Amino acid sequence: MDGKQTPAIEALTHLRSKICNRNSIFSFSSDAPDSNYNKLKFIVSNSVTEACNNSVLLLGSRGCGQVEVLDLVLEDLKAEYPEIISVVRLDGVLHSDDNCAIKEIAKQLCSENQLLFSKMASSDDNTQFMMAVLREYGLAHKTVVFILDEFDLFAQGKQRLLYSLLDAMQSVSSQAVVIGMSCRLDADQLLEKRVRSRFSHRKLLFLPSSKEDILRLLKHILTLPEDSMFPRDYVITFNKKLHNMFEEAKFKEILDTLLDADSSVHHVLNFLFVAVCNMNLESGYLSVENFKTALLSIQRPYKLDSLQGCSVLELYILACMKRLEDKEQNSYNFNSVMTEYKHIHDSYRISDYYARNVSLRAFEHLLQRELISFGDSRGQNQSIEFRPVKLLISSHELLQGLKLYRSCPALLQKLMTGELNKMKAHLVDVEMID
Amino acid sequence: MLRESLMEVINSLRVNSKKSGLKESGEQGIGGMVYIIFDNMELVRDWDKDSVIISMLFKLYDILKMPEVGLIFISNNSPDTYHLNTGSVEPIPIHFPEYREDDLYQIFLRNQRDPKLYSSFLDVVLKDSCKITRCIDELSTYFRLLFEKYCEPLSGIGRVPNQDMKSKLYMHLKPHVTSSLNEVFWVPSCLALELKENKEKVGKKRNMRRLGDGVVPDDIDFHMSVSAKYLLISTFLASRNPATLDAALFDSAGGGDNTNRKRRRKASETSIQQKENAEQELLMKGPGTFPLERLLAIFQCITSVTASVLEEEQQEVDVLGTEGGANGLMSDVLLQLSTLCNANIIIKGGTCPLDGTSRYRSTVSEEMALKVARSVNFPLPKYLYRK
Repeated sequence: MDGKQTPAIEALTHLRSKICNRNSIFSFSSDAPDSNYNKLKFIVSNSVTEACNNSVLLLGSRGCGQVEVLDLVLEDLKAEYPEIISVVRLDGVLHSDDNCAIKEIAKQLCSENQLLFSKMASSDDNTQFMMAVLREYGLAHKTVVFILDEFDLFAQGKQRLLYSLLDAMQSVSSQAVVIGMSCRLDADQLLEKRVRSRFSHRKLLFLPSSKEDILRLLKHILTLPEDSMFPRDYVITFNKKLHNMFEEAKFKEILDTLLDADSSVHHVLNFLFVAVCNMNLESGYLSVENFKTALLSIQRPYKLDSLQGCSVLELYILACMKRLEDKEQNSYNFNSVMTEYKHIHDSYRISDYYARNVSLRAFEHLLQRELISFGDSRGQNQSIEFRPVKLLISSHELLQGLKLYRSCPALLQKLMTGELNKMKAHLVDVEMID
Repeated sequence: MLRESLMEVINSLRVNSKKSGLKESGEQGIGGMVYIIFDNMELVRDWDKDSVIISMLFKLYDILKMPEVGLIFISNNSPDTYHLNTGSVEPIPIHFPEYREDDLYQIFLRNQRDPKLYSSFLDVVLKDSCKITRCIDELSTYFRLLFEKYCEPLSGIGRVPNQDMKSKLYMHLKPHVTSSLNEVFWVPSCLALELKENKEKVGKKRNMRRLGDGVVPDDIDFHMSVSAKYLLISTFLASRNPATLDAALFDSAGGGDNTNRKRRRKASETSIQQKENAEQELLMKGPGTFPLERLLAIFQCITSVTASVLEEEQQEVDVLGTEGGANGLMSDVLLQLSTLCNANIIIKGGTCPLDGTSRYRSTVSEEMALKVARSVNFPLPKYLYRK
């Protein structure tokens, strides 16, 4: 690493690390008094101070900050009440099996208290251990926070873990908070009756931010701090250009397109990261072009890209399949496509006519790219030539792809647009061919 | 169990990174990174519980919360083909477009002993082969064979062609190019290459296939034992013919002949139409299924017919007399059957609805079956059912 890094590179590193530090980003947007942050903090601290049990669900679509806000709350409370709060984290994806979950709880409780965890312990042992720990914690006035990520996955099956956890909280003298997080807004409807009765129906909704909030967030993240190690002139110019850019109509358009697809903060952060990485290091300033490139790389038209990568033979196969669909053949397989291909060759004398084995390989390539797929799901156990297939792209996409294709044979395009049929019909009318 | 082992991996990573002193530092740290790379992600979609695994892998960064660990996923398909019910964290996509012709040109020119010669070769063939496939692996095999042919007239003369030479080489290659384009994916097997080398030594006339000849060979390129060949023929017959015809075809040695003679009528319009419909049906539906017992019965019939023929001929000891008649052919049939299954010549075709036994299907094309039959002198066309 050379000591003389240009301010541009330093600024880039600074911005990138800022974007990746998600917790601080969410602390910025959690200032309002009725924000979820404050509500959650109140619930958990209540359990600590009043020595009672609590349960709450954090619901909201992915990327809206449930995890980050929770981490912030816990960080603050741990600073406020040192040594009183211990945390056990479970994830529905990893621990939905009850035995596995109980084992993980025991393991985490062991490591918190510097006890040795034995892998041989049975599920009952682990459960009893958990109850014992809860009791001890209650007597010592310490609080355990159970975090259940992907809560809806815990609610599958018999919900044994949920029941035993919530039941333990009620029977044993414990101070525990159960915090469930889920992207399903109806996660509490999934609970069984006996579990639901033990669950307090507190729900905190995390909604995707509005466009104004996102703009505010962008300004906050991208503005370089003035009292830092960067040269002052550079910082002032950088921020000025940035703020001018925010006013541009083009930028607003880009932001609108991005937010229309997904306005969660995580998505915006991913976009920002790519945009900042595109920054031109020579000029050292962010421009609208960076954001435009970032948007294009995140929202790619995948099927069109796939089509651009096809060979001419593969395009012919796609065109044949489209023609078969136009003729309203409900189900067709590779053999029928080959018949259509031959038919086209006989009628229009195309120069790109290839043998069957080569076409079969091209067909396999198309299957691999997922531009076509089999119509039966693994049934029938037939070889490839006989299984029914269908197109996975619309005719509009196919036409568009052909137009963009470099050196696309003119015949192929005309074939797709039906011009050839019209020409032929015209010639028949004029009685030049029969 | 997968999850438990993954948890262990996660914890060991945490421990390792702490050991090497890579704790998160407040400022822009310049520490080492550990990258976990997942290749061929599209295969995960076919696994059991794929949605769980995929969502977990994508979330791994958040679960680990270790900035020193980076995750890279490599896939042949675009991100929108990873459907997940409750959605998942989407990784940042980076798209790698296909190679264009110019790129392919540059790539193929690398590491060539003779760039000028190869570039003149590429000028001729690249454009046309790109119309068939743009996959580098397939093109490189194809070009290797074609380049040998291209260089044939040059042996002896210097390797750098001038304009005059180029056009001569092109004319030499041209007739082969058009027919060889239909064999782009043909990879010569080891046996074929060996035989090619031995061609001058062995005096026998062999119908050897070379790239661009456009001649369909009579021989099959790989080795099969005699009983395996008969088994293959039996599977083809079992898939092609309806079961009701078996008794008529196989009751006596020459049963096939009589059946065909009886059915030969004058071709009328409806029968031509019927024939077309039958062909169409064959193309659409594919080969039929048969139970194992029927296959073995046909096999036994065929081999008993030929065994009697063989016995007549086998008065003297012949070189290949390892199989001594019908008994030799019947041995190890089940072993041969499992070999054929593994080679995908026979595939499992679902279960019979009536009694739950599994049925099988043959995947051999008619061309291949005829070749095999010819190699054992079996009159296959007589046994084929034609409407």
